Amino acid sequence: MSAISPQVPIRPSDRPSRGDRIFRGFTVGAAMLALVTVLVAIVFLANEARPALSSTGLKNFFTTTIWNGFIGQFGILGVMVGTMIIATIAMIVAVPAALSMALFINEYAPRKVGRLLTSVVDLLAALPSLIFGMWGRDAFQQKLVPVARWLSDHLYAIPFFRLSATDVVLVRSSFVVGVIVGIMVIPIITSIARDVMAQAPRDVCEAALGLGGTRWGMIRTVILPFGRSGIVGGILLAFGRALGETIAVALIIQLTFDINWHVLEAGGSSVAGLIAVRFGEATPLERSGLIAAGFALLVLTFCVNLIARRIVKRGQVK
Amino acid sequence: MSTHLDHDQQHTTTEPPVLTPQHLGPAAQGASSLTATDVSCWFGSRQVLERCSLSMEPGKVTALIGPSGCGKSTFLRTLNRMHEVVPGAKIAGTVELDGQDIYGEDLGVTEVRMAIGMVFQKPNPFPSMSIRDNVLAGLRLSGKSAGDKDTVVEESLRRAGLWNEVKDRLHDGGMSLSGGQQQRLCIARSLAVHPRVLLMDEPCSALDPISTRVVEETVIELAHQITIVIVTHNMQQAQRVSSQCAFFLVEEQKQPGRIVEAGDTATLFTNPKDQRTLDYVTGRFG
Repeated sequence: MSAISPQVPIRPSDRPSRGDRIFRGFTVGAAMLALVTVLVAIVFLANEARPALSSTGLKNFFTTTIWNGFIGQFGILGVMVGTMIIATIAMIVAVPAALSMALFINEYAPRKVGRLLTSVVDLLAALPSLIFGMWGRDAFQQKLVPVARWLSDHLYAIPFFRLSATDVVLVRSSFVVGVIVGIMVIPIITSIARDVMAQAPRDVCEAALGLGGTRWGMIRTVILPFGRSGIVGGILLAFGRALGETIAVALIIQLTFDINWHVLEAGGSSVAGLIAVRFGEATPLERSGLIAAGFALLVLTFCVNLIARRIVKRGQVK
Repeated sequence: MSTHLDHDQQHTTTEPPVLTPQHLGPAAQGASSLTATDVSCWFGSRQVLERCSLSMEPGKVTALIGPSGCGKSTFLRTLNRMHEVVPGAKIAGTVELDGQDIYGEDLGVTEVRMAIGMVFQKPNPFPSMSIRDNVLAGLRLSGKSAGDKDTVVEESLRRAGLWNEVKDRLHDGGMSLSGGQQQRLCIARSLAVHPRVLLMDEPCSALDPISTRVVEETVIELAHQITIVIVTHNMQQAQRVSSQCAFFLVEEQKQPGRIVEAGDTATLFTNPKDQRTLDYVTGRFG
């Protein structure tokens, strides 16, 4: 009896055509470009930030609020917290408004109105943030004073809304900037959320209605769970934008380096705003400090992304 | 040779328990009658149904048959106000559930859909939910209190003939089931809110023959308890499950669909009054 020799598995080979190889080369190159850009940016930032970091010390950099370019002290704790405060206020304003807007366009609006709104929202997304900044500083800011007053009078229980004195100024605050940045990022969330939620399978939506569900019931059981990861993605994008918003912040805020928990009062800060305000007149050492702050912002954005991705993953169905 | 094989196969197949409409008892108690009078439908300005009247008797299965595009699904969707979900869809005529107009002021649209449940052509369990949550979804959507949830889940799955297959994995996703099981899960989901009528829109068209048989058995079982209206392309299926039957037809292209003939299923298939019905049920067209 002759033994059967064991089979050797192989991968069938394919000779792609010249055109295919060239195209493939292009795509590889483009993909690499993204990677290289990130690497170059990180190397540049780390390199430029080194003088400031070695003069102030890594621990002081993250844990103090003193900023002095002449003695080489750079503490960004207040600025980092300020950045988070502004971005958080922006999200509190933007997320409910944007999701409601997206749902209205998809589920409630007559088709024509929906289409009109979609293009208006897209137009809004294309508006430069400088416009928002100028409008916010010269027109909208004053309108927010009564709102801030009302919040401090009625929502006194929330520590953030307390005022440190009765005669404080209620403009040029984190609150004003947060609201304006929030309005700015509404179109980003709206257009992504609308796109994703429009993909919800129609037959499953009908199942919800057919069971006697209300329209809100259908939205809650089918559309929102379906759109979940896309919506979170849109919010993240907007959050990143809010963290990095520069012009609107620089135009409006009264820059401080301390942590200002009184969000309704004048004085606040953000990394991007700080860089915009100080970069022009900075000494070489302070410039290095500003770049270090920018680097910290990059790391913060990265961490936020990582956390959000975890959240999305946890909610997925088997 | 091949006939011999066929013959053999027929004998080795285990026959399902015989359940035909003829074996059913008197109309189930508590089932409701559904009466459509002069129902016409439009999508925008295009009329797709013209003056359809049909009485669907309590505790019986009524089948709606006819070629594709004749409006039988549209008619079915007017019976629980799903037609109007489509933008631009309009309707004329009345539909009465036990004498009460479902388009009237006294009934809200969600009440109507709870009383008259629907199973769709393609199995459509909620993808983000477990089997158990799918069954309970209707109660949650309508804000009804479920009482003892475990009882509701078991009872509904038993009635849909799915309990034994899923009782050990109620917390698995609804999408982990096979197509036929998903469709029975959808039936269970509809039954959980205790509808008085169940509408089924070609519930087996996406299923394999074995799953089809199981769903048909479920339909016949349920006819003891509630009124069922089922749209089907399959004439054997209409004969197997229904006791009443209505034949829909579009006579010329772009004309609205009409009911050509309705009545007892056996009569409609063996001795129809209308020549067009005879042509259709004998397979001469459609």
